[in-house]
Amino acid sequence: MEGRRALVISRRQFVAAPALIGLWRKTDRKITGSFVNDSFPLGHKLRDRSAFSAPAQQLRVPIVIVGGGMAGLSAAWHLDKRGFRDFVLLEMEQQAGGNSRWGENEVSRFPWAAHYVPVPAKGESLARELFEELGVLRDGKWDERVLCFDPQERLFINGHWQEGIEPEDGATPRDRAQYRRFMERIGEFRATGQFTVPMEKGAKPSVLDRISMTDWLSQQGFDSAPLRWYINYACRDDYGAPAKDTSAWAGIQYFASREPEEKGPLTWPEGNGWIAARLIEKLRGYLRTGGVVYGVVRDGNKIRVLTERTQYVADAAIWAAPTFLASYVIEGAPRAEEFQYSPWMTANLTLDRIPDQKNAEPAWDNVIYDSPALGYVNATHMSLATHVDRTVWTYYWSLAEYTPEAARRLLLARDWNYWKEAILNDLARAHPDIRQCVGHIDIMRIGHAMARPSPAFLFSAARERWLRPQGNIFFANSDLSGFSIFEEAQYRGVEAAKGALRVVGGA
Amino acid sequence: MSIALFLSVFLIAACGLIYELIAGTLASYLLGDTVFQFSTIIGCYLFAMGIGSYLSRFLHRGLVARFVSIELMVGVVGGFSSSLLFLAFAYTEAFRLVLYVVVILVGTLVGLEIPLLMRILKERFQFRELVSHVLTFDYLGALGASLLFPILLVPKLGLVRSALVFGIFNAGVALWSTYLFREQIGRSRYLRAGCFVVMALLGAGTVFADRISSAADNSLYADQVIFSRTTPYQRIVLTKWKDDLRLFLNSHLQFSSRDEYRYHEALVHPGLAALPGAHQVLVMGGGDGLAVREILKYPSVERITLVDLDPEMTHLFSTHPVMSALNQHSLTDARVHVINADAFRWLDTNTEQYDFIVADFPDPTSYALGKLFTTAFYRLAAKHLASGGLMVVQSTSPLFARQSYWCIVESVKQAGLRVYPYHVYVPSFGEWGYVIGSFAPYEPPRQLPSGLRFLSTANVRELFVFPVDMQPVPAEPNRLNDQVLVRYYEQEWKDVAH
Repeated sequence: MEGRRALVISRRQFVAAPALIGLWRKTDRKITGSFVNDSFPLGHKLRDRSAFSAPAQQLRVPIVIVGGGMAGLSAAWHLDKRGFRDFVLLEMEQQAGGNSRWGENEVSRFPWAAHYVPVPAKGESLARELFEELGVLRDGKWDERVLCFDPQERLFINGHWQEGIEPEDGATPRDRAQYRRFMERIGEFRATGQFTVPMEKGAKPSVLDRISMTDWLSQQGFDSAPLRWYINYACRDDYGAPAKDTSAWAGIQYFASREPEEKGPLTWPEGNGWIAARLIEKLRGYLRTGGVVYGVVRDGNKIRVLTERTQYVADAAIWAAPTFLASYVIEGAPRAEEFQYSPWMTANLTLDRIPDQKNAEPAWDNVIYDSPALGYVNATHMSLATHVDRTVWTYYWSLAEYTPEAARRLLLARDWNYWKEAILNDLARAHPDIRQCVGHIDIMRIGHAMARPSPAFLFSAARERWLRPQGNIFFANSDLSGFSIFEEAQYRGVEAAKGALRVVGGA
Repeated sequence: MSIALFLSVFLIAACGLIYELIAGTLASYLLGDTVFQFSTIIGCYLFAMGIGSYLSRFLHRGLVARFVSIELMVGVVGGFSSSLLFLAFAYTEAFRLVLYVVVILVGTLVGLEIPLLMRILKERFQFRELVSHVLTFDYLGALGASLLFPILLVPKLGLVRSALVFGIFNAGVALWSTYLFREQIGRSRYLRAGCFVVMALLGAGTVFADRISSAADNSLYADQVIFSRTTPYQRIVLTKWKDDLRLFLNSHLQFSSRDEYRYHEALVHPGLAALPGAHQVLVMGGGDGLAVREILKYPSVERITLVDLDPEMTHLFSTHPVMSALNQHSLTDARVHVINADAFRWLDTNTEQYDFIVADFPDPTSYALGKLFTTAFYRLAAKHLASGGLMVVQSTSPLFARQSYWCIVESVKQAGLRVYPYHVYVPSFGEWGYVIGSFAPYEPPRQLPSGLRFLSTANVRELFVFPVDMQPVPAEPNRLNDQVLVRYYEQEWKDVAH
């Protein structure tokens, strides 16, 4: 498999490159920046069961939601919609949003992680309900200002940009035949009705989950290097894992679960931060930020949720934080060792001028073929302006070439300067003048960013057990679906809220 | 040793021929008349080589040092020849003079090379061998250069860089000679330093070659360039030939003063003359003030808001004597308010209503410009249109870009407006199209302002009649998430160009 070998070589060069180049290359411009929003200190504090001070006050609240990411926000959204107002939403960070967090500087708002939602199909009632409420969907028509503007995606391959990220440039008739056959196979899977959004609606245990996407491709005779690159890219992008470590069921789900009625996706300058911000605005009254939940303790038929400020006494709790954290916080909860998470590095680069495009036009999503990283998303793409002088690029790297543990170690071991150089060297393949354009780079390291649908996880007993509530504690994180996407978080959040409502009798 | 020597001959012969080819190519490219340019340049060049050969007899002592200096001079003059010629064409009137001076200078220096080299080598070889070898490699070099030039150099390096690269070869031969003949020269250190300086100079030139070509790009315009400026938004070029003034934005012709009245009368009057009570007018694009000039012919209009992206553009057409004469000082009229802003964004934050809206944007050559031709844009514009008002859109050519034209019409329609497509013949553009959008049914005007040069009440209705070859073809609307127009447009103008 040539494509993958090329990937391995380029990866090695990539990692070595910053060090080598640093020896002789003087920095063209002063580039400022730092690590931001680091999640490691709090996470490690929880894991190490460090001492937390005892809460000063006690509050009686029927429902407590732990975790202000999309799952927690969606749970709160559902409770509020049902007219249930007696609950709190606890977020350990200063800013809610989780993987939909966003930032803003003098140039633009920009995402920190999740940056789009595929246009929800007719059957995705929950997502459509929310978007109708937010004014994005009106009378069955999507607001054209939030459907990703043309050109959506481009790929830097063989020294120039092509439109779209399926490698077309240099593809042989044989490659094209394999693309077609692959899409036919996907069409057949779609027709089974088992690949749905959210996954729980259609998913049935399948032998496809026992093998990796790479093995399935080999079994089916798909050996085209560009096709395999494309599928591997999809797995790295959506699951943070290479195709060889991704369940074939999940790999197929990526392609087969979507049949958009409209050219999309839905996106905003701040990515899914736009959705998070709207929800936060609606739910401000319930939200308590900046307080870590360090204990969830059952006390008779009550649940005590402990933060350093307040002890909440609840009838039901919704655990919307990542499931692996449950065993560190919830008394008596088993270890969720079967859950694997991909770490991520995202960086926001502020560009004081736009790199030379050599007759190509910037797209929203810009990918470099054979790069170990995932490319960058342009925050000003959704601007109505015909001309922009400055912009912000959100650069994504899922570190999928390492095991999650090794990648986490690497993330912690290297300093900002190392990542800065790695990013610039990667981007310089497509933008040789990148160092003259970038003024600032903020880097966010996320140790457990996305759930990984490794082979044999999706239909395992281990995952099943977390789908059921433990007493009156309901689990809501998107990782319960085996992969972290907006619709799964929303579905899990709403399902957990329904369960909690039944407990408190507010349904 | 002898191979190295004859390789030098090969190289200098190649360099010499390259400079000649570059001069010939550049002259035919910029002046046209290839046969004339190549004939006169080859003639002058060969003649100048004769002068060089003749002059070589007057050089006596220190032949190697002289040879090295001549190589360096060839390197500098030949290496920078194309840059110099481009810039001379762009910024001076004396292109031909510079051209032939450069050709004669390079020719003379090249003519000195071979005789000098043969005299330097005469001690080492028999005369019979020497002549045979030197001339053999001389002709071989010429062959190499003449093959390399069209196949590799022009397409890959371009004229500016090719000359510079071969200049570096000349300097390289010079440097090499200081080693080959080290026993025959005394103060080689200065000569070597000279070689390095020349190489560095030419090397720097290759780095900045792109800037040189872009600085000279108005040489692409057929007429005399009277103004050119690169703003953060576009490249503005004005050319003049006799009484014909032309404006180019990013090399696209915007108007010719000989027939722009046809374009601008047709843009404004079919709509505005049908709105007797129009007070508020919005013009988007049109920083040349020519549409505004036409609108000012209506006493009922109280205020004209002109939104153009580029302050340089509106400044130029407000202050430049030739330009402001052309638009009859429209941009400095008290009724006109100029706003420099990105039209889509500006419209999005503005709440005013207008009786007449003009969208006079450059053609949708990119996705960025294509946004100004989308259903979303027209929907927004419609929100700013008074209930009885009209909007008119510059819509490219219904003849050359038929599907693009009908795509724009469809996009206006999808924004919820009634559409009234029409077209006009503008000699410098060809057939050109517009579309009027309105909420209420529209009738072409029965009265027009006096003093129009093209439109009359008799012919205004004819504009709405489309001959068979421009009649509607199916086209999707242009939408922000699917800009079919940019793809139609690219395809259709590509077909026209070929």
